[in-house]
Amino acid sequence: MTVLRRLLLVEWSGLALAIAVGVVVLALISPNFLTEFNLYVMLRSFCVGLLVGFAQMVTLGVGQMNIAVGAIGGLVAIAFGGIMEKLGVPIILAVPVALLIGAGGGLINGLLTVRTGINGFIITLATASAFTGINFGITQSIPFYKMPAPLVAFGERHIGIFPYLLVAPLIVAAVLSLFFARTVPGRQLLAFGGNAQAAELSGIARGKVVVLAHVLSGTLAAIAAVLAVAQLGSAQPTIGADWLLLSFAAPIIGGAALTGGYISVLGTMFAVVLIALIENGLVLAKVDPYWVQFLLGALILAAVGLNRWRAVTAGAG
Amino acid sequence: MTEEAIGDVSVQRRRATIGGGPAQLGLFVILIGFWIFFSSLAPGFLSSFNLFNLGREVARDIVIGFAQMVVLATGGMNLAVGSIGVCAVMTAGTLMQTFALPVPLALAGALLLGALLGWLNGFAIVRSGVNSFVITLASANLFSGAMLILTRAVPLNALPPEVGAFGRLKLAGSVSPLLVIALVIGAALFVLYRYSTLGRRILAAGANPRAAAMSGVPVNRVIVISHTLSGLLAAVAGMMVVARLGAAMPAVGGEEWLLPSFLGPVLGGTLLSGGAVSVIGTVLGAALVTTLRSGLLVLQIGSYWLQLFLGLILLLAVLIDRYRGLYAERMRVVRSS
Repeated sequence: MTVLRRLLLVEWSGLALAIAVGVVVLALISPNFLTEFNLYVMLRSFCVGLLVGFAQMVTLGVGQMNIAVGAIGGLVAIAFGGIMEKLGVPIILAVPVALLIGAGGGLINGLLTVRTGINGFIITLATASAFTGINFGITQSIPFYKMPAPLVAFGERHIGIFPYLLVAPLIVAAVLSLFFARTVPGRQLLAFGGNAQAAELSGIARGKVVVLAHVLSGTLAAIAAVLAVAQLGSAQPTIGADWLLLSFAAPIIGGAALTGGYISVLGTMFAVVLIALIENGLVLAKVDPYWVQFLLGALILAAVGLNRWRAVTAGAG
Repeated sequence: MTEEAIGDVSVQRRRATIGGGPAQLGLFVILIGFWIFFSSLAPGFLSSFNLFNLGREVARDIVIGFAQMVVLATGGMNLAVGSIGVCAVMTAGTLMQTFALPVPLALAGALLLGALLGWLNGFAIVRSGVNSFVITLASANLFSGAMLILTRAVPLNALPPEVGAFGRLKLAGSVSPLLVIALVIGAALFVLYRYSTLGRRILAAGANPRAAAMSGVPVNRVIVISHTLSGLLAAVAGMMVVARLGAAMPAVGGEEWLLPSFLGPVLGGTLLSGGAVSVIGTVLGAALVTTLRSGLLVLQIGSYWLQLFLGLILLLAVLIDRYRGLYAERMRVVRSS
């Protein structure tokens, strides 16, 4: 086995290489790339993106999918902004309420999926529409602009290239790594995703793990929404509207198995870095922003192809 | 229950659902109910102007539903229906406006492109063995991205006047020819699934791919054909939008078609697991969605709450379908015991 081959078998190696190449190329072609401001802007967009990716990753882990990640995000964002602006709820109280709404949305998804036995895709497609409907019905598409100053400051402040916002995704990433690697529910979730029948025969309750995954997914989407509000400085009803592709792209490019049972926190992080790098590069190179969509589609296909090749190679070797 | 009995149920059920069964009858009653409700609250609902518009929208929604239904029949799904639709729209616009091709030629080109993109989806799914969700999620963005890059998202609104005139054409007072086209396509699909070998093969492959393969059904080819057909139908829906607007807009289709594409077939009783479709159900499902949209608009509830209603109705429909299935099974067990 050649060195290259062995390297490609590690799931995030290809990503690390792509990121390294991307950084070098961008640094060479654009003098603006390595400026403090540009790197800060990139890291800021990384924060929300990573949580969106995580929100989908946990449902993929259990062999489900959550089409409603963006819809939950949008609903949480306007609820979070709304209770602060209209009811004067302090941030310290508004954040837990926001997370509870997200978890509640996930709970609805999970319970409906488990109780009815209907495909999670169609359930979350329906709830996504319902959540978005509530969002637009309440706001009539008008954003909440008056966010508390400390929240806006938290969204803007930075130390060097590192935004304060970065604290949240890093903590979440560490917690998720521990959860999936070391805790009983985390292992059960992946075991169920890997082989539902075997997991059930070894005493894992199907209902519990699927609901848990959806609740986690909703909560992570809610954290993403809170960060998005802090970053934008206003609660826009359109937050989450464009999360669908990103939510699947990040974990899949990061090496998650679509059939469930295998996910990579580190891989998902690298994937989001790569996506942020591509978006930034296209802006710096003044290329049409439409290329982002095209390239993300191509990247997903490439990642799926690479994963298959890896599975075949690993199976043969 | 023996294996044979189970097979018997699924065959009976399939026969019932290609045409109309209890689910479709229920849907029809609900549809009539909404019509009475909306027309009694808002007399404008039954005006010939509103009926004409309703007909044009139903036509598009029916064909979008068909585009998803033909893939659901194989147990897959196509998230790229909207993207293929908008690619066809912009292709038709470019051929007519930039290249000044005659309208029929431009239409043929757009439909061909739709079929080709659908074929690409099917080919990639069969070749890679990856599920259709991920492949079409990726390809949807590839297609839409490529379209936006090539057209720079500029609307084409200097199309030949015949196009818009066809969209405004009224048959017998207030019926749009678009609706007639949609129903003719429906009749063709009905014949395909009920009477043709290909149709039976598609359903067999969707119900149980392994059993179908063992009985000599070329499962992969059937999947590719279904996706090609889906792309073609998505392009037809795109052409209907071009006729209605009299222009080629890059903002039509895309993710906006995702929910309607599933609503029609699922409300109509098409199974997500494959193997059973209902052409009439899809028509009724699409009609229900369009009726609600139009009715809420006439009642001036506004489009903001519409999505909530659509989501709840989809949930309700799948729940009812689920429990009806369970109930039917229980009755059968009771009878046979």
